[in-house]
Amino acid sequence: MQRDVGSLPLAPALRARLVAAGFQTAQEVLETGPCGLSKEIGISKEEALEALQVVRQECHSDATRTAGAPGTSRKCTALELLEQEQAQGFIITFCSALDNVLGGGVQLTKITEICGAPGVGKTQLCMQLAVDVQIPECFGGLAGEAVFIDTEGSFMVDRVVDIAAACVQHCQLIAEAHQEEDHLKALETFSLESILSHIYYFRCRDYTELLAEVYLLPDFLSEHSKVRLVVIDGIAFPFRHDFEDLSLRTRLLNGLAQQLIIIANDHKAAVVLTNQMTTRIGQSQSTLVPALGESWGHAATVRLIFHWDNNQRLATLYKSPSQKESTIPYHITPHGFRDVQPPAVTQNPEGTEMNPRKRLRREEEK
Amino acid sequence: MALLRAGLCPGLTAEMVPLLRASGLRTVVDFVSSDLEEVAQKCSLSYKALVAVRRVLLAQFSAFPANGADLYEELKSSTAILSTGIASLDKLLDSGLYTGEVTELMGVPGSGKTQVCLSIAASVSLCLKQHVLFLDSTGGFTASRLYQMLQAQPEDEEEQLEALQRVQVVRVFDVYEMLRALQELRDSLSQQVLSSTGPLKVVLIDSVSAVIYPLLGGKQSEGLALMMQLARELKMLAREFSLAVVVTNQVTRDSSAGPLKPALGRSWSFVPSTRVLLESKETTWEKANMQRIASLAKSPRQPTGLQVELDIGNSDVQELSPATPTQGL
Repeated sequence: MQRDVGSLPLAPALRARLVAAGFQTAQEVLETGPCGLSKEIGISKEEALEALQVVRQECHSDATRTAGAPGTSRKCTALELLEQEQAQGFIITFCSALDNVLGGGVQLTKITEICGAPGVGKTQLCMQLAVDVQIPECFGGLAGEAVFIDTEGSFMVDRVVDIAAACVQHCQLIAEAHQEEDHLKALETFSLESILSHIYYFRCRDYTELLAEVYLLPDFLSEHSKVRLVVIDGIAFPFRHDFEDLSLRTRLLNGLAQQLIIIANDHKAAVVLTNQMTTRIGQSQSTLVPALGESWGHAATVRLIFHWDNNQRLATLYKSPSQKESTIPYHITPHGFRDVQPPAVTQNPEGTEMNPRKRLRREEEK
Repeated sequence: MALLRAGLCPGLTAEMVPLLRASGLRTVVDFVSSDLEEVAQKCSLSYKALVAVRRVLLAQFSAFPANGADLYEELKSSTAILSTGIASLDKLLDSGLYTGEVTELMGVPGSGKTQVCLSIAASVSLCLKQHVLFLDSTGGFTASRLYQMLQAQPEDEEEQLEALQRVQVVRVFDVYEMLRALQELRDSLSQQVLSSTGPLKVVLIDSVSAVIYPLLGGKQSEGLALMMQLARELKMLAREFSLAVVVTNQVTRDSSAGPLKPALGRSWSFVPSTRVLLESKETTWEKANMQRIASLAKSPRQPTGLQVELDIGNSDVQELSPATPTQGL
């Protein structure tokens, strides 16, 4: 009840007037009542009532916290959090080296950012994850759904069909090997059509549409409560050109980051973003760094940087709260995102592409 | 700036208040700074009564000067120095975190700020057996990493689990939620509710810039006001309840090739009394390594520019020993 007036979530003009009139704590505002308040500050009775409503809500949620209501109470001890984390699943990437580096896969309730030069495989990984999140629980997946927000137009449905078909085939092989009841039952619902129908696709053409989409996402997610993955492919693209006011850009990006972490936390979803790379020209040399500036680097909880080393694609875990930094190689195959196969095992040229810097073309796959 | 109300002090009666308000005196400051003779004439109140009220109000609302020796004695008895769990960082901070002060950790993404915060939480909850409050605004708190750090210590598993229970985590993702959480903390500490908070000694905020950044910049001045509101809450908590407050901050650059400087600007730079910059030894991300350098950017006790090395790769954050090989890539 001793909440300072300056810290209440009211409109700034109203707050300034309250402070100028001498109100110091929320208690004083509540005691005055709507008529007294409108007379003292010079606002209409409706505005005074609204303001009192807000203040009362703040003070009541100070006094009584309801545990379990999503969004209002996010307090717990580290022990409870540990138990929650251990029970949570991961979204596997089908590349076991990358899964090991990430500590099991892409983590829920965190923002993972994938940065890389063009053509290195960021959208491929996003499409792979959109399929992998739907793997039924008996096969080790999350049985969730995915939201794919595309700003660059690089989402190719036929590629997703290939990846999904490979994933279904993989699960069928496991089911045949183990011959268990629930495996076969799960396979009935896990088909190409169901996978494609559970990827919700949004196309945003500029930053206003992207911001609007992200602010409307909580409503969408409360209707579709099984969504466990939100992918934003190309968060850098709408913000990199056509922006004269850089401080506005920083502000919008940071607001977006906070909104995304709220979504990740409240709906127990993983948020995956892809970012571009830019050159920083230093005194003696220039280096390739992730785009969108220094402050954006703090937005993501986990940061992966994909890069080339001659013809080999490498993934480096650059920032993580719980895993060590390391680099692993990976491949993009006709079946999707995979490990590097040891050279003796492969029969077909599943990784030796003609032009390694472009995605696999359809003719070479068959 | 308290409002003049009936009963605020003996002598300020209910009849006087509306008369004073009618002549434009609403707050205590207005009253004590006005010319009482004029007021007596305008409001037709007795001059002697007004002078008496002014004297009482001044006594009630002014701050009393304290003797330097008394202040020193009080500080000696109420300040505690908490070890961060990392010996080299303790050396940098003049043997640890001082309660009653705000300490800031800053660095580029991936420099280890969250790791150092987790290490502080682990050391305070396990070795010192005190409660810790962790306000997480970035989603970076991973309980399994904290558990890993606790497991590296020689205590047995039961004590480690107890230590986990002493760390309370609150997820706040915008500035109003953070202010609300701090207000709740102040209420529970002033009522001395021992149930969940217990003997709280450390409040860790990771990170404070994540909640302030969306409000700063542009033509709004609201962000700056809220930032100062937050700063005042933190300093008041630290001083009144003898807590050590640790915040993490980002760094920005002026231009794409300029030097790194702490975020949130000059106004925030007056808030923490100690500032530590964490950076990686290698400047590019291509060579992944676990070594970090912590340098002292601002301190009330030590000379600035001191540097120590830390290793955040192992099960806990340690000082770098020369014989340790760098972790494999």
